[in-house]
Amino acid sequence: MKRKMQWVVFVAVALSLSAATVWAGGQGEAASGQGPKSITVLTWNLPHYADSINGWISEFQGANKGVTVTWVDKKGTELPTYYQTQLAAGTPPDIVDIQGALWYQYAKDGIFMDLSPYFQKDADMKTRFEPNILKAASMYQGKYYMVPFYTPSTVLFYNKPMFKAAGITSPPTTMEELVADAKKLTHGNVSGFITLNFDWLYWPLFRANGVEILNSDGTKAAFNTPAAVQTLKTLTQLTSSGVISKVSWTGRWVEPNGEFGAGNAAMLNAHLPALKAFESQSTWANDQTVGVAPFPGKWSVPNYHGFGIASKSKFPDVAWNFVKLITNEKWAKNAASVLGTLSGNSAADTSLISDPQFAKDNPVVAESFKVDLSEAGNLTGITGTAKDAQVKDAVYSNIQKALFGQVSAEKALSDAEAAVNQILAGQ
Amino acid sequence: MAILSRQRRRSRALMIIILLLPSLLVFFLYRGVPIVWNLVLSFEKWNFVDTPKFVGLGNYAKMFSDPIFWESFKNTVLYFFGGSPIAIILALGLSLLVNKPLKGRNVYRALIFLPYPITPVAIAIIWKWLYDDKVGLINFILRSLGLTKQGIGFLSNFSWALPSVIFTTIWQVLGYFVIIMLSGLQTIPDELYESAGLDGASAARRLWSITLPLIRPTVFLCFIVGIINSFTTFDVIYVMTNGGPGHATEILVTYIYKNAFTYNEIGAAAAMTLFMFLFLLLITAVSNKISGGEAGGVNYYE
Repeated sequence: MKRKMQWVVFVAVALSLSAATVWAGGQGEAASGQGPKSITVLTWNLPHYADSINGWISEFQGANKGVTVTWVDKKGTELPTYYQTQLAAGTPPDIVDIQGALWYQYAKDGIFMDLSPYFQKDADMKTRFEPNILKAASMYQGKYYMVPFYTPSTVLFYNKPMFKAAGITSPPTTMEELVADAKKLTHGNVSGFITLNFDWLYWPLFRANGVEILNSDGTKAAFNTPAAVQTLKTLTQLTSSGVISKVSWTGRWVEPNGEFGAGNAAMLNAHLPALKAFESQSTWANDQTVGVAPFPGKWSVPNYHGFGIASKSKFPDVAWNFVKLITNEKWAKNAASVLGTLSGNSAADTSLISDPQFAKDNPVVAESFKVDLSEAGNLTGITGTAKDAQVKDAVYSNIQKALFGQVSAEKALSDAEAAVNQILAGQ
Repeated sequence: MAILSRQRRRSRALMIIILLLPSLLVFFLYRGVPIVWNLVLSFEKWNFVDTPKFVGLGNYAKMFSDPIFWESFKNTVLYFFGGSPIAIILALGLSLLVNKPLKGRNVYRALIFLPYPITPVAIAIIWKWLYDDKVGLINFILRSLGLTKQGIGFLSNFSWALPSVIFTTIWQVLGYFVIIMLSGLQTIPDELYESAGLDGASAARRLWSITLPLIRPTVFLCFIVGIINSFTTFDVIYVMTNGGPGHATEILVTYIYKNAFTYNEIGAAAAMTLFMFLFLLLITAVSNKISGGEAGGVNYYE
């Protein structure tokens, strides 16, 4: 009996202690406005940028006593899953670096905070970015949800020695020239042209022929047109004859860059991070042999990275101030030069472009920056819909069927149109 | 006396419960709760943040009207029927061979089992390279033998992609099935073969009348493992084709993943998961029934 009593007392004490701890924790959270502040920033595949990120953190913590910033990095394939599990657990990071159009869904669902009041309050934040880039990187249904971090978009890389050997003196400026050059450059195992295909990166091939993805208000498919049918037929024919490498439609990142890097393709439609990817696995690619030019019609697909702030952040002002710091001219210039892509920060990008030393040390990158900036007014592959991932998949999986001769171009586009309209109707 | 025995039974039952409790608790937390939570989610729309909204049978209606769902279901069934029976037949043949007192049979056994412990991602990368139409070993051999002029895009061709992935899975799982079959073969008492031999039964007759009936539970186990594999294999397909080209190699589990983590359609993904779970239960029950019940169990001396 006595033993039982001892157990009861022990359990009661343990429970009281646990309750007190939980209560104290709750009180601490309630009073967090005055206490130490802690935010977490989640980045997308940036372990190689660790020195700079640690630099952000030490500068910010130095200027904001009592604030702690924790950095978490995840690989590209892991980040969305990781972020969603954090959301489900109710512990999303305060700031998250998101690539492409994933953030539309987060904006629509209220997962990301509407940053419009902050942009309103800090006028400098609006003017520090190139207007077209800011619009494409940040706006969803008229409101700001993201702050541009680094902002690569697609350009046309080409193999200068192959061009010279084929007697081609300059990169193509029209689709007709691109097709003619690609045919001329094709021989043996070498294809004239290859493209990356994820996140709408192949879309300049259609847009240069006047094809839009959705109608102006984003409610219906707009791509099932005679021009699109003709484009798809041409692409199918060029693919089956090897002028366009099949890897364009089967690979994702490693494979097309590998093909171009290995010298098995003469032109590559890709965004700027591809430069490092194919150079690293190439014996021919260097500053003298890689050419960079705008895609015909200067059509370019953005594949931007930006920062969103969680609507459930306990310290949104601290998070905003941190984002302000890391996208200022100094850190933007650092991001552009280290990551080798535009930052979107006008002052930082123009300063790098006009820096003769930077151009001398990185001629292809500097040229890419100029090309990218020149295309900023001609961005395509932007659906502006929260269902972007599904729309993208519906279009691409059907187009792929036509490209590999499974169905006609007409049927592929008609099936894709029906699928997209069904997806958009169910929003 | 009776009171004592009742007390003893009670304390024994209590001991069993206490010993089982930690395992049951873990099972309940990691299996029971997610299954129930999945069931609840399948009737809801949830964006990970707000309170889930009840949508009734909306997710199921959407699932049944989704052509890609049916395509991935069809692919899953093809993936199973194209892979497991072949793997089981091959495994049976190989295990009969390496069950004989051959010279160096342990080496053969090790070689056959070798692919199984390799991680699926590594297997997928290796086979992706082997299948490559430009630099892949298979196309190199085909070209060298003059069997083809242009490389075959095994993973990019709509007709070849699924069979190519199935072949990889057979290669991966074969060693495991051989080990299971071997353990089954080694439980068959030798005297059955000896008496059949004395009665003048041929090797084919012994195989048909002794080996096959007595390894029924083993075949049943391979069959069930094959079913589970085909419904849950994710890594190999995700790395090799990501469900493409088009949705030619999309199976239920990759489509569920896309719905949950790419399209943010958690409710739809939960409905598909439940469908898959129920379908798995059904075919397991049917397989059990066909194999005579009791998981194909047999009595050697019946």
